[in-house]
Amino acid sequence: MTDSNDRVGPLGRPSLISRRAILRAGGIGTAAIAGGSSLLNWARPAGAATNLAGAGEEIARTAKELAKGRHITLRILEPSGSLGNIKPVADLWTAATGIKVSYIEVPNGEISQKVLLEAVSKAGSFDIALPAGFSIPDLAASGILVNLDKLAQKHEPAGFRQSILYSASQFYKGNFYGYNTDGDTYLTFYRKDWIEDPKFAKPYSEKFGVPLAVPDSWSELDRQLAFFHQPDKGQYGGALFRSQYFIAWEWWVRFHAKGFFPFTDDLTPQINNEAGIQALAELVAASKSLYPGARTNGLFENFEAYGKGDIYANIGWGGTQKYLDSKSSIKGKTTYGPTPGGSVNGKLLKTPYFNWGWNYVVSTLSPEQEIAYLFTLYATSPELSTIAVRDPDGYFDPFRLEHYTDPEIISLYTPEFLAIHEASMKDSTPDLYMKGQGEYFDALRVNIQAADVGEKTPKAALDQTAREWQRISRRIGRKEQTVQWLFLKSLYPEGIRAQLS
Amino acid sequence: MARRRVARPNEQVESPVARRGPSLGFLLALPAHLLILVTVLVPSILVVWLSLTDWQPTQGIPWYAAPIIGLWNFSDLFNDQRFVGAVLRTIVIVVVSVLAELGLGLALALLFLDDWPWRKFAVAVIVLPMMIVPVDAANAFFMLFNERGPINQIIGLVVGHQYTFGWLADPDWALLPILLAEIWQWTPLMFLLLLTAFLSAPRNQWRAALSLGASPMRAFLRVLLPLTLPVILVAAIIRGIETFKIFDVIYILTRGGPGTATETISMFMYNGAFVYFRIGYIAAAALLVLVVVGTFCLALVRSLGRQA
Repeated sequence: MTDSNDRVGPLGRPSLISRRAILRAGGIGTAAIAGGSSLLNWARPAGAATNLAGAGEEIARTAKELAKGRHITLRILEPSGSLGNIKPVADLWTAATGIKVSYIEVPNGEISQKVLLEAVSKAGSFDIALPAGFSIPDLAASGILVNLDKLAQKHEPAGFRQSILYSASQFYKGNFYGYNTDGDTYLTFYRKDWIEDPKFAKPYSEKFGVPLAVPDSWSELDRQLAFFHQPDKGQYGGALFRSQYFIAWEWWVRFHAKGFFPFTDDLTPQINNEAGIQALAELVAASKSLYPGARTNGLFENFEAYGKGDIYANIGWGGTQKYLDSKSSIKGKTTYGPTPGGSVNGKLLKTPYFNWGWNYVVSTLSPEQEIAYLFTLYATSPELSTIAVRDPDGYFDPFRLEHYTDPEIISLYTPEFLAIHEASMKDSTPDLYMKGQGEYFDALRVNIQAADVGEKTPKAALDQTAREWQRISRRIGRKEQTVQWLFLKSLYPEGIRAQLS
Repeated sequence: MARRRVARPNEQVESPVARRGPSLGFLLALPAHLLILVTVLVPSILVVWLSLTDWQPTQGIPWYAAPIIGLWNFSDLFNDQRFVGAVLRTIVIVVVSVLAELGLGLALALLFLDDWPWRKFAVAVIVLPMMIVPVDAANAFFMLFNERGPINQIIGLVVGHQYTFGWLADPDWALLPILLAEIWQWTPLMFLLLLTAFLSAPRNQWRAALSLGASPMRAFLRVLLPLTLPVILVAAIIRGIETFKIFDVIYILTRGGPGTATETISMFMYNGAFVYFRIGYIAAAALLVLVVVGTFCLALVRSLGRQA
């Protein structure tokens, strides 16, 4: 007989991989998975906001009670640029509890390193940190993150997670390590005025026999990029990233959209199969239709370049939209889409991707772990997280259903963008939440970029990456990694997982 | 009345410390020795220890509990194409940039041997680049060599059409902006050192050579250069060591890319330690680099000794 819980993943997505299958997969992670079964028990379907009015007040009351008679200051290690999101909430927390908050700001690309160095130095310099979701496995394995399962069971109000649209980054080996506070799903941006302009629409439909519209598939996007790319007229097809830090993400989506997981169930990389090579060849070909600067520019240069108004398409996150709709010359001239899909068994498969996003975590070296946890609970509660997401210059993007109905947030992002964002969040595939994520992805990035600049063929680049992945898995521990991979696989949205092999 | 004892000729005078016995001298020097021991020896021993393990903070165990894996890290490094490539690339950067800085610094220093109007002002202008924070200098070069940057715009004006070559994205050319940034920033240091050396060299031999009919080039090669060669070698050693550690410029301009086309040993170690968190492996790499740099310095110092 099958226990119903065995086949339910987080957010209530029925899992193809039963908990028993995960447990069978290996011994090292077994205890962790078994211990984390609570995750599977807590899984509830996302899709409806719950009545958590007053939850923040209740959490603050509990914290105040715990801190009674003591002077406590919580120290938050936060990525630069997110203070605008955190501070308004922290000020309310201090007013409600009397517990002060101080901030330690670090460059956003270095926060994981800082947290990890804390694990080595044992300095106890912060209570709460906000690392990117993809670094949680390494940080959890280092022992610096508090496993929050018990505290969540003690304090988390019923239905708290029900309206959180993406939660895969919160767990490692089935244990809960911290609330996601930023909806960083990958989206595409297009020039609406160009799509609607008969000067472009007519010749496009005449040439290709289909109307010019937001593309559904990568092949259609590539065709549109090439169509619009006329550098001699100062007009470019796309601003898609080709710089080293960002390049792998696009390939990752292209590859998934061809119907494959990056690993087989026994952790053999299948990124260098025909689909992977084809996806890379297509990415390399699309590079010809990108603006000058795509291979060197980083995030903010990308925003700025696209905002100038001479590029048709871009890829990015909620932050991209906030920039475009406030500081660029193309305000109101863009339309949006999820990342395009691919054809699998004759059907269109879209594989939205959650590839960044900050998570609130608590340090094991914090003398006030319970109060620190309560702060993270407070800050991610529907009411307070809405205040955080409203900041026009901060990183935090909507991640709860409640955010999509807040007038200030709607005005900040536009209703059209939020509709696409919400749908993409609900169906986002997880990032590679595995120990050694930095190593796996760096090998991928370096080799993909080598293929993009013509140093290697797509096949040679991906063969090399696969070999490096095998070495990384062997060194970290194949058995342990296989357990986590199977767990991670179970976190893919059901509809997508069913079509991936 | 007590009389002061006067030491006789040839009599060895004992220092007050020596009169109190050797233990006091040892005790007085001990804090300094301990400080050196702690600040130099202990970290070195730690690096050697770590290089024999595959410790990563992500293993969740303290470094001292990491199992010893012997010389596996060193063996892996010799087979790691990325590491070998990074070392060779770094050596190329060191050789090219130090030679260029030396040549340019030498030429500039010779121009400034005689006094001329605005000379001091010109010196101040020339040394300006080395006062700039390396990250800012690198950022300036990033903007200069950007696809839409001034360098391409100037070339575009010359060739008569829009020019958008990706200097920093082309594996064959990406090293060029890095080398130019490095040479631009550190030639002034070489210039200052060489100018000081030339100005402090005895002038009479140089003048004698000229008055005896030697051409200025011959007088420079046969008189001034041999006199200042030790300073030139020291300057080359200092810049060589500094350039071997090049990081800021590469981090800002290319982050080691495209692919690994501009990855130097510092970038390799940064990635290894702070992206992969492979502390043991990188400790082994650091030791190997120490051997390379040590050998390089030793060779130059011996050459210096021979000159002396």
